[in-house]
Amino acid sequence: MRISVPEGGLSFFDHQPELFALFNRYYGTLWSEGVLDQATKEVGRLRNARVTGCNICKNLRFAGARDDGLTEDLVTEIADGFETGDLPDRFKLAVRYADVLITDPKSLTDELRAALLAEFTPAQIVELTATITAAMGFSKAAVAFGPPPDMPILVVPTPTPDGSVSDPLPS
Amino acid sequence: MEATRTGTWLPIEAEGATALDRVFGLTPAAYETFREVDGALWDPDRVDPALVELCRLRIAQLIGCDAELEVRHDQARVAGLTEEKIADLRRWPTSPCYSDADHAVLNFAEKFVIDASSVDDHDCAALRAHLSDPEIAALTTAIALFDATTRFQVALGIGGA
Repeated sequence: MRISVPEGGLSFFDHQPELFALFNRYYGTLWSEGVLDQATKEVGRLRNARVTGCNICKNLRFAGARDDGLTEDLVTEIADGFETGDLPDRFKLAVRYADVLITDPKSLTDELRAALLAEFTPAQIVELTATITAAMGFSKAAVAFGPPPDMPILVVPTPTPDGSVSDPLPS
Repeated sequence: MEATRTGTWLPIEAEGATALDRVFGLTPAAYETFREVDGALWDPDRVDPALVELCRLRIAQLIGCDAELEVRHDQARVAGLTEEKIADLRRWPTSPCYSDADHAVLNFAEKFVIDASSVDDHDCAALRAHLSDPEIAALTTAIALFDATTRFQVALGIGGA
């Protein structure tokens, strides 16, 4: 870790516990008090993890998404070549949107916009956009100050407004 | 698709004074918590708001978000950030307006946004030469949130360049 972790903390964000708590409140609200199913958001988050290269995020699984039906077999499909794989169309759409958000949001096409509007409500689109981009920010921080540790696949509780995205991480 | 008041391609909007209010406000609980963390980024006890503002504006330039480029935060102005300096932001590597601390911070912010894996030990050492670890944590939270929010706005059609 290139930036120190304070004593008793789990990540360098714990140097700013009040600020980190506010970030977690935002992120937890997106996940636990939202209008979009957790499986779709999890697909976007995991695609972000692959594109951003965050070893932590890649191997975390949020329990609520698993309860929503996002099995490990489906997670393995969130990879290059996903378009011809077995992911449901709704999840493929989330992957395509995540790729645009993370690489170049100006490249969003009319075709993809129409597909999003056909599948999701406006509020769900806003929530999906906010969730993927927030996850991206956290992933990039982990990558920038990494290298993130190798860790096994770990199913953790879905973030809540009172929790922390780093609670389940190995110290 | 017909644009609405904000320019977004979403067919409906919430009430609100700004384009971000009207789009992000479609998820009011999340937007309220976003505003809380966004507001906390500007506390001068955490990190110099002038550095935070430079990062926000540089990220808006990189991603291409006019809406963010039009905004100024009073806390940064109070901290001494001038329009003259902002006008030179695209030329920060060679502009005489920018200090060594500015260089360390803007270099880090650019790498974070473009390819976070390219941040190296030298970049982190440069940051630590000018900022404490708590200041770096606050600045990184700000950069992460600006990167996210700027992409959010551009993707949803708010103020893209």
